[in-house]
Amino acid sequence: MFAHRLSRWEATQPKTDPLVVNRTIMLALLGALLVSAGVSAQSPSRACDLDSPAKQLLNKMLQAPFSLAFEGTVLYERAQGRQFLTVTWPHAAGTGVLRRMNAEADPVAEPWPAPIDSPRRICDVIQVYVPDLESGPVIAGRQTQRLTLRPRDTLRLAHRIDVDAETGMALAMATAGPEGQMLERYEYAAIDYAVTAPDKALVNAPPAAYLPGRSVVPGYFLVSQDPDSAVFVVSDGLATASIFVEPLPLGAPLGEGAIIEGATLTYTRGTASGLPGGADARSGGKRGLLISVLGEVPLVTARLLADAVRPPVGSN
Amino acid sequence: MTTTDRDLEALSALMDGELQDLELRRTLGRVSEDASLRARWQRHQQISEALQSKRVSAPSIDVSSSVMASLEGKPSLSRNPMWSVAIAASVTIAVVMGGQQLLTPSAGVSSSPLISDIGGGVVPVMGAQPVQASLGAKSIPVTSRPSQDSTVVPEDVSAVYERLARDRYRRLNPRHAQAAALSHPAPYISYVRAPTEPLGSDSAQD
Repeated sequence: MFAHRLSRWEATQPKTDPLVVNRTIMLALLGALLVSAGVSAQSPSRACDLDSPAKQLLNKMLQAPFSLAFEGTVLYERAQGRQFLTVTWPHAAGTGVLRRMNAEADPVAEPWPAPIDSPRRICDVIQVYVPDLESGPVIAGRQTQRLTLRPRDTLRLAHRIDVDAETGMALAMATAGPEGQMLERYEYAAIDYAVTAPDKALVNAPPAAYLPGRSVVPGYFLVSQDPDSAVFVVSDGLATASIFVEPLPLGAPLGEGAIIEGATLTYTRGTASGLPGGADARSGGKRGLLISVLGEVPLVTARLLADAVRPPVGSN
Repeated sequence: MTTTDRDLEALSALMDGELQDLELRRTLGRVSEDASLRARWQRHQQISEALQSKRVSAPSIDVSSSVMASLEGKPSLSRNPMWSVAIAASVTIAVVMGGQQLLTPSAGVSSSPLISDIGGGVVPVMGAQPVQASLGAKSIPVTSRPSQDSTVVPEDVSAVYERLARDRYRRLNPRHAQAAALSHPAPYISYVRAPTEPLGSDSAQD
């Protein structure tokens, strides 16, 4: 792999005097090479056994949106407040529609996409979470089964999901922090299923296929990247984190900080140009990079993701 | 122009983070001009990366980041293009030794109810490998309270970064929501999480 990448890199080197090489073009080329070589997307296929009722229900839950059409009223709560929502799936436009009922008198319809549809996803999830099953409460008039997803490591959060025993819909879900505190929850107050399943032709495909690339942090795979604007997204099949890189604002010292809103952690780190112990030469050591990680992940995961940020190998 | 021993020594020192500013500037300039030096740097990084992937450690930071920043000399407010994220451990399961110091919300915030039957517990797994996050031994406060004022004492680094985090949450969460929706059992929840108040407001209340 490394030899292959190196040979490709060397093959692209200009034959002219290096002094006249256009650095910008070279950087772009090397970046593109790294991106193409680094992401080893794999074809989606299920390579795991769903050998327990809990795993089977989890799989049914992940697939539920593709076999159901529904309208519902949802309560969403976190420490910063609560919202009442109405949701419809699918809408005529091929997406779901959300309305925030306590936001204004005539709330606007906000579209939301179809979730990822891949047989591989369930395998990724059960590799890092242990599902347990027990009888659940009645929610919105529907009998549920309680699915508890306990993380196998400290890099992700725990979830308790009440799943409609008949349809597989996740009718309630609570997410807990590393200390056991509830970070956020939602619960259906009412739900009406359509008699017929949605026409797949009417449902828009998700904006990105689920083709997990390389592992960035254990259990988290690169699922999309926009290296030109320095935005990367990783997922473990359930939790998602987005990584943004930008120049450090003028005057900002080096350091780190984080806030949490519901289950979403926002972690920022100011570094000295990514050089361990180094600094940006042109700025006299005063300027660096700001790495922001947003995700439904613990702090340690955000830190590890910030550690992983770098420009392409050989992009000098 | 040929690569000298001094260049090689400087490159080695650069990768170890031991160069002073002036020498760093000179070395980066040489790297930009000398293809063989660039190739050597890349090989060093690849070797380092290969070694790290074998021993299951935290991902490395590629030193060439500073080259892009310093040599291109772009305006500071523009984003640096062509970034990537490093390959990390080859194993799936990890036990994290540090960096998990998630402090309780600051005073004045009503504590969230505990659902300790699911939170905090980690299912032990045979063969788990340790992973150390950088800065892992250092705890930082993670707050859920809205900012009380817009002025930040310059020397208070934690306040600066809390403010930066809050600002980035507002600015970047809409984009994050688009990605997070694809994996959530209820995709619309990701959109509801995103703040709706206009940028510049200090209130984080829904």
